[in-house]
Parts: sequence; structure tokens; C-alpha cells
Amino acid sequence: MSTQTISQSSTWGGGNSPFKVSYGKLMMWVFLLSDAFTFSSLLTAYGAIRYSFSSTDTFIEEVTPVKLEADGIPMRDGRIDFTFADNLINKYTPESASHAAHGAEGHADHTDYFVQKMGETGIFSESHWPSPDLVFNHFPGFGVIDFHGMHLPLIFVSLMTLILILSSVTMVLAVEAGQRGDKAAVSKWMLWTIIGGFMFLSCQAWEWTQFIGAGSRMYSNPYGPPTFAALFFGVTGFHGFHVFSGVVLNIIVYVNNLMGTYEKRGHYEMVEKVGLYWHFVDLVWVFVFTFFYLI
Amino acid sequence: MSSHSNHNVDIHDEVNYDPTVWVPHTHSHGTKDIWLKFWILLGLTVIDVAFYFIMPPSMARNIIFIALGIVKAIYIVGTFMHMKHEKLGFASMIIIPMMFIIFFIAWMLFEGNFWGTI
Repeated sequence: MSTQTISQSSTWGGGNSPFKVSYGKLMMWVFLLSDAFTFSSLLTAYGAIRYSFSSTDTFIEEVTPVKLEADGIPMRDGRIDFTFADNLINKYTPESASHAAHGAEGHADHTDYFVQKMGETGIFSESHWPSPDLVFNHFPGFGVIDFHGMHLPLIFVSLMTLILILSSVTMVLAVEAGQRGDKAAVSKWMLWTIIGGFMFLSCQAWEWTQFIGAGSRMYSNPYGPPTFAALFFGVTGFHGFHVFSGVVLNIIVYVNNLMGTYEKRGHYEMVEKVGLYWHFVDLVWVFVFTFFYLI
Repeated sequence: MSSHSNHNVDIHDEVNYDPTVWVPHTHSHGTKDIWLKFWILLGLTVIDVAFYFIMPPSMARNIIFIALGIVKAIYIVGTFMHMKHEKLGFASMIIIPMMFIIFFIAWMLFEGNFWGTI
């Protein structure tokens, strides 16, 4: 067997890397392509199912804003008016909460009152898909500043997007440091990336707590058709688990780098390969944000 | 049989190519481009949110969101994932299937729009 006679001048003749990438990096890209197929199947299902339902705006047009106004929903220009959100969201008082605890009329929480009011007037109904700005309108206050009872659509999820884009930047800075063989800089930027990953996961945990706290389950939810919550848990859960896996991989690379594994090996390509995975997670979030929260 | 800790193996050897250890020579492209792309991505996200509040929901608005998403994807894949520095054949292998996938998502979104009416 004369396997040594392969011509080196031929790109595709064997004995070299035609794409000029290492085997590991090539396989990471192939894996990411297959993973992109998985996510796109979820997003394809979401887009098709969501648009097989009519929208909140169509519903408001059909029952007429005048009728909703009479039911106690402030309206302006055919849309819900949140200028005087106090009337709609901020019915909650500590007194009404204690009443609720004793079984009397009143509401235990701002969220409870808002969701119930939307359900009573038919704005939240199984027959049409809820507008995302009516569902994801909370921001954590943690008792320092009370954002409860304020209508802040998309603000929290935009913050999550910012966190993930920033952690992508710190990751690519770690890769760049690796290309220069700067071990200390790799450690620094990997640590920031891990912190960013944990921040994003914390945000997602809070988002899920809000959503489940309002009564959403895999099979039913107070906002709209059962598939709405099922797809929310499916898509953001799948993405969140990818973020979690990415944080684990980042920690492994961080520890390896501290132990000098890549210095001994002579190259920092493992930082780049794990970086590819981390950027892919960010890329998926761009599309989850577009399809789930904007469209 | 090769070992990563074996210093006798040349990891950049083109003549006696060993796929288990071979890696190309790398060089930094600097950090200026990375930060520029960060500000662009941040700006595009702000534009997304602005469109959400200014423009009433419609298929035209959805097309704007998908287009902005694709622009963001180009910057993430191109700069952050170094795809613009890779060989054309390699980049095509990954990007061409993805173009079909994005088309399919958009197609099924429009398709679903008709399910409720038939």
C-alpha cells in the first residue's frame, strides 16, 4: 500500500486540509449546522402555528374599542392606552391583598389583576394569539424601586439581548487573546463571558417565574391558546439549556487555561471552538427574540 | 498514534499532515472590528424595539424584523465566528443550507396565515 505517494499539490487529493481548518473546528461547524436545523424546526412550528390564529389587534377591531372602553379598558386610537396604567394594572393595594388573603374581593398581585381583567374582556382568549407586549411587560424591582404595576413591554427581554451580545463580545475577545497566546487575557475575558452567561440564565429564570406564577403551564395558560405557553417553554427552554451547556463548556475552558493546558499544547484553538458554540447560542437568541417577542 | 503533549509533533506540519493534531497558523485581526460590530448589533436591536412601538403589526413589519435579524446574523457569523476570514468553500458549506432554512421559516409563517381562513 503506497499511501505516501499522494500528491501534495492537489487540494482535494488528501494529505492536507482543503479548507485550512483543523478537524475539531470543522466538526464544530458541522454540529452547529445540525443544531441550527433543530432550532429552525422549533421556530418554523412557532411561526406557522402562531399565524394560524388571529391576533389581539384583530380581536380589538372586531369587538370595537368602544365596547372594551365600556368594560373598563382605557383605549386610544384603537389600541389599549397604558398612559393611565394605574386604572388597569395598579388596582393592587396592600389592603386589597389582605382582603384577597381572607377570601374577600381584591387581588393578591398586580399581575393577577391585569391578567384577570384581560381575560374577562376577552383580550386574552384561546381563540386568538396574545400580543407579546401584553404578556412580557414586567421588569424586576427587587423591592428597591417598585416596577410592579408598570407597563414595560420588551424592556426586560431587550436587556437580556444586550447581556448576551456583550458576553459574545467578551468571548470573541478571549479568542483574540488566544490567537496572540496571551494566557492572562484569555482568563480575564473567559471569566467575563461566564459571568454574562450566568446573568442571562438568571434573567431567564426570572422570566419563567413570572410566566409560571401567572398560571402558565405546558397544557394551558391565561394568555391565549395552550400552544402559546407550550411553544414558549419549548423554544426558550431549549435555548436556555444550550446557554447552560455553553456556560459549562466555558468553565471547562477557563479552568484548562488556568492549568496551562493550551500553553503546553502550543495553541488556543479550544477557546475558538467553544467560542463558536457560544456565538451560535447568541445567534439563536437573535432569532428567538425576533420571532417570539417582536413578530 | 499521536499525543498532544508530544513536543516532537509539529502541529503546523503541512508535509507530514496529521489530522489529529494539525492546526493552521493563527493571527489576531485586532479588537477594533469586534467593538464596531458590538455597537452595530446594539443599534440594530434598538431599531427593532423602535419599529415594534412605532409601526402597527403587519406582515410588512414582520419582513422588517426578519431582515434586521438576518443583518445581525451576518455580523455575528462573519465577525464573531470569523466566517469572513475562512475559505469560500467552507463558508458556503455552512451558509447555503442556512439560507434555505431562513426561507423555510418565513415561508411557513406566511403559510400558517392561511390555515385559520380555510
